[in-house]
Amino acid sequence: MIYNRLSVFRAERGLSRKDIAEAVGVNPQTIGYLERGDYAPSVELALKLAALFEVAVEQIFSLKPFAPLAHSLRDQES
Amino acid sequence: MFIRSKARPFGRPLQTGTVRILLIGLYAFYPLGCILQLVAGGSVALGLAGVALVVAALAAFAVLAGSSLQRQTQEPESLLDEREREERNRASFQAHSVFSGIVLIGVLYMMLTADMAANGKLDLWRPTDGTHWNAIFGGLILLSFTLPGAVLAFGNAPAAEDPDQASG
Repeated sequence: MIYNRLSVFRAERGLSRKDIAEAVGVNPQTIGYLERGDYAPSVELALKLAALFEVAVEQIFSLKPFAPLAHSLRDQES
Repeated sequence: MFIRSKARPFGRPLQTGTVRILLIGLYAFYPLGCILQLVAGGSVALGLAGVALVVAALAAFAVLAGSSLQRQTQEPESLLDEREREERNRASFQAHSVFSGIVLIGVLYMMLTADMAANGKLDLWRPTDGTHWNAIFGGLILLSFTLPGAVLAFGNAPAAEDPDQASG
């Protein structure tokens, strides 16, 4: 199982699934499958997505569940 | 077989439930229509009912042939993305196994019925003229065109509502 926070990055940048799909060369449905966790991407696709958001691939994809965003913010404040 | 329209080059996006209903209609109406025509004898009503069911099955096929699901199973690999290719390859493998099994059962049935009829034991129905063979091959062609899509439609959980999907 590969966890991701693609939807968080997508919302932050104000992009649609179609925008991301066109940028990385896949069908927009595939972005939906990725966000729902119904599909694990290839290394190539994961790297393309990381390059698109200009972050390390581990910041988008992980083998362990990501901590909730509110939890992370609370940790930063304390 | 995928019928591409200029307006929808990626096929008509259909809900999984709709695809399932069309497939069930196709797989039920076509053989039922053929059987009704076979047993109609002199009955015009039964013959017409059989024709109507076959036409309904072909109408279901026409809708499926233009769907995005059918595109995924029939499009060249270079026009699919990695998820679509992976799903299509898995569905094609399963469809091949099912199709081979159906053909094997049909061949065994014809071998046994021909053998039993030759020995005068039991005279079960078997295809005898061109109309019968046309109906059987027509059904097999429809099945081979739609079976990979059926594996995808019945194997996948229906996708959640996704407004972005309509544009794909």
